[in-house]
Amino acid sequence: MTDPATLYPLLPEGALALTILVVISVDLFLAREHKWWLTPLTVVGLALTAGAIAVVWTSAPTDTLAGIYTVDRLALVLKLAALGIALLAALFCPSYLVARRLPLGEFNAILLFSTLGIFVLSSSADLITLFLGLELMVMPAYLLTGFHKTDRFSNEGGLKYFLLGSFASAILLFGVAWTYGLTGSTRFADIAQVFTDGLMNPAVLVAMGFLTVGATFKVAAVPFHFWTPDAYQGAPTPITGFLSVGPKLGAFALLLRLFGEALGPLRADWVDVFAILAVVTMTFGNVVALTQTNVKRMLAYSSIAHTGYILAGLVAYAAATDPAVATTAVEAVVFYLVGYGVMNIAAFAVVGMLQRDPRRYGGLASFAGLASRQPALAAAMTVLLLSLTGIPPTVGFFAKLYILLSTVNAGLVWLAVAIALNAALAAFYYLRVVVYMYMRDPEAEPAAIDRNGVGRLALALSVAGVILLGVFPGLLLGWLPADWVAGAAGLVGH
Amino acid sequence: MVAEVLPLDGHLLLLVPGDNHRLIRWVALLAAIGSFAFSLLLLGYEPSGAEFQFREDIPWISAFGIRYTLGVDGLSAVLVLLTTVLSVVAILYSWDPIQKRVKEYYAAMLLLMTGMLGVFVALDLFVFYVFWELSLIPMYLIIGIWGGPNRIYATVKFVIYTLVGSLLMLVAILAVVLAHANLGGTFTFSYEALRGTAFPDLLQAGAFIAFGLAFAIKVPMWPFHTWLPDAHVEAPTAGSIILAGVLLKLGGYGFLRFSLPLLPEAAHSFAPLMIGLALVAIIYGALVAMVQPDLKKLIAYSSVSHMGFVILGAFVLNVQGLQGAIFQMVSHGVTTGALFLLVGVIYERTHDRQIAHMGGLNARLPAYAAMFGLFTFASIGLPGLSGFVGEFLVLLGAFQYSGWVAAFAMLVVIASAVYMLWMFQRAFFAVPSDWMRRAWGSLHDMTRIEWLSLAPLVILVFALGIFPIPVLQATAEPVQRILESVQGSAGLTSFAWPW
Repeated sequence: MTDPATLYPLLPEGALALTILVVISVDLFLAREHKWWLTPLTVVGLALTAGAIAVVWTSAPTDTLAGIYTVDRLALVLKLAALGIALLAALFCPSYLVARRLPLGEFNAILLFSTLGIFVLSSSADLITLFLGLELMVMPAYLLTGFHKTDRFSNEGGLKYFLLGSFASAILLFGVAWTYGLTGSTRFADIAQVFTDGLMNPAVLVAMGFLTVGATFKVAAVPFHFWTPDAYQGAPTPITGFLSVGPKLGAFALLLRLFGEALGPLRADWVDVFAILAVVTMTFGNVVALTQTNVKRMLAYSSIAHTGYILAGLVAYAAATDPAVATTAVEAVVFYLVGYGVMNIAAFAVVGMLQRDPRRYGGLASFAGLASRQPALAAAMTVLLLSLTGIPPTVGFFAKLYILLSTVNAGLVWLAVAIALNAALAAFYYLRVVVYMYMRDPEAEPAAIDRNGVGRLALALSVAGVILLGVFPGLLLGWLPADWVAGAAGLVGH
Repeated sequence: MVAEVLPLDGHLLLLVPGDNHRLIRWVALLAAIGSFAFSLLLLGYEPSGAEFQFREDIPWISAFGIRYTLGVDGLSAVLVLLTTVLSVVAILYSWDPIQKRVKEYYAAMLLLMTGMLGVFVALDLFVFYVFWELSLIPMYLIIGIWGGPNRIYATVKFVIYTLVGSLLMLVAILAVVLAHANLGGTFTFSYEALRGTAFPDLLQAGAFIAFGLAFAIKVPMWPFHTWLPDAHVEAPTAGSIILAGVLLKLGGYGFLRFSLPLLPEAAHSFAPLMIGLALVAIIYGALVAMVQPDLKKLIAYSSVSHMGFVILGAFVLNVQGLQGAIFQMVSHGVTTGALFLLVGVIYERTHDRQIAHMGGLNARLPAYAAMFGLFTFASIGLPGLSGFVGEFLVLLGAFQYSGWVAAFAMLVVIASAVYMLWMFQRAFFAVPSDWMRRAWGSLHDMTRIEWLSLAPLVILVFALGIFPIPVLQATAEPVQRILESVQGSAGLTSFAWPW
């Protein structure tokens, strides 16, 4: 029998699971006009979970459940980020959903399930935990994509996402099986131990290949990105915001855990593949985003480009020979994930606010003349777009700077140059939205705008966060998981 | 450095008044004048004292060794004063022409002013980069919202061009900072700490190209100049004044402040290439200016030519050349700023800038014609006016470098007289075109606000031309330091150079 004390590090997961149960139960007894109570309830649950993370903060790092679950600084920071993203999603979505008569109770529960999946993924120290967490994260994501059940595009996106996602999960699982067969263990620590001798035989390459394909599918890296545009465009817009950052956060947690820890000793063998993937991903995402006239779809492609930037950080981690440099790279990845999370979810939310009329699909024309109709909303969107472009003083700039710094530090100047050129390319399509908002006249029948106060509050919070973290990135830097690489370094024999 | 912060205070006030355009204009103007007044404090700069004075040094992002370090030497002081003067001029001139989205306009103007001032006083490369980018977005909006018919194309081109350069410069900044740390230094973005580090040749060459690209696009040097005519033609008048008067100087300043002292070996080795490009820009700008039918485009191309002199002076690497380059920057800011203002004056009346449509303006608008003539001559470099001093010093420096270079540049000075005088003759003396005759009745001479905004530039163009000593004195010390850092260098020895 497990000692109850070993469950103590699972306090945040417990709090979150409890919140889910409460939300589902309360939903049963609420009349339709009182359903909005579920949002504050969810927010309180998320706050309590954050409190639980604060409680276990000092005891990190610890392993629990016989070593299959690790609660270290990296896991806790990722969980906090996931909480923040879930909070913003819980605030941005309701007004959009209610306007389309979509159920709030299910939404909140599914959202929290997916968040719980990110939690498990961030803490996984074992292939089985990893796979469990992954499925717990993406299954709700499939549901959320198809959440607008009367909308054809939503159905299409949900189905595509589900089919391709399951396919990728199967491939990943196949890689997991190979890895187990080769190493005789599912624990990351044991796997890394076996792999310290380098590539023993070609079978390792096969395992690594399957794992790479499965994992890069989940982060939506080119050429495994095909599900992204349709799923993102089909999903209800504020939910797309969540899908583009939440599951991506989880997928990068997976990459850090699986490739950083378990396959860490084989870094020299996978780093080149990932470097190429990073450049191809960012370039492809940007080039295709250039041609989009639908802002929602453009943001979908741009999220592919951002995947490329974050992958570059992972590459810098793998290419680094100095533990300090590797630390910087992981910090850069986490910083980028947080910054990107805030700015992207909020940008999608603004697109959603312009879809008060359900016949609108987020075309560029909806943004025409927004500055004269809604100066505050236009200004907020401008800040978000500048942040996505990477212009100071916003969090997007510092995140990009951090990634650039770690790539240059790891000796990958060519990669840094590729990022810089891509960022300039991206400016073109991000600023095109600014052009529409500020430099064109409104349409004859301008899009109706959602003025929901909760959504506005969340937007104000996001914009404040984007600027605050841009001017004072030190607020976040101190929290980053500097100890993780130290732990992993011992593991992988830096 | 109160002068640098003050325009931002103006921003806070701009949040208060709603649609009260008059009040907004006054607040913006007072913020600009206040900023100018504070920048006058820089006249108290002590040439024999510390290199950088009026320092401000606050830790910012300590994990990255980033400090909010500002400071002023003679070079910065001169350009800060130019910026504050031209900002007052631009804001005052906008009083009548800007009637659309007034609040946003002045907010953008003041933000632009903050960005430009920040670039000139930043002593931390991170801070420098932040201000550099900060000056980009307001200009993007100013051209894009208040510009001419083709404004969106022009402003997007301007932004994309500039961003390509500046993002590569960011990579170079990081490479330089990391190399400094790896060579045993601390991890810092401080300009003073980084200067004097013996960077390896490959890094110097790469960083020089990346920095150089960012600065060359801003200057703009041939062949990176194509955004400039578009931006100028579409920009509102005040935007053109700032663009030509100050924004282009960010590039020249970057070369003098960063490229030369930080990367002396590379600067040494690349100097012949830069001089070659500068000569091409000088002749190319002049020749293209000759055939321009549009008044604004003509002045834009003449800027390419005049800024070529700045680069030429900077890279002949001697005292006269460098002093001339700095002086030319100031003088070009004053004369071209004034010329764009004057083009704006006629455009306000006729909504047309075609030289062929003008003619005979001297008869109808004598005072206006006199002012235009004054700045035309200043632009050509008539002795006694500001343009002469800079060009003369640059040519003097170029002569020491090579007689051929100087002779070539000298020929172009004649060309500049050709296109400016020919333009002046067609617009002001020739028989009025039919087109102009129809507008004849609605023409009126310069208004009080136009006079007021032009007045500081008239004073400066004479003052700088007759009594250039204060500027030359202020810049003597910085020039000496730049030369010390470059002259000792042997160039990049690990490469074979074609020259």
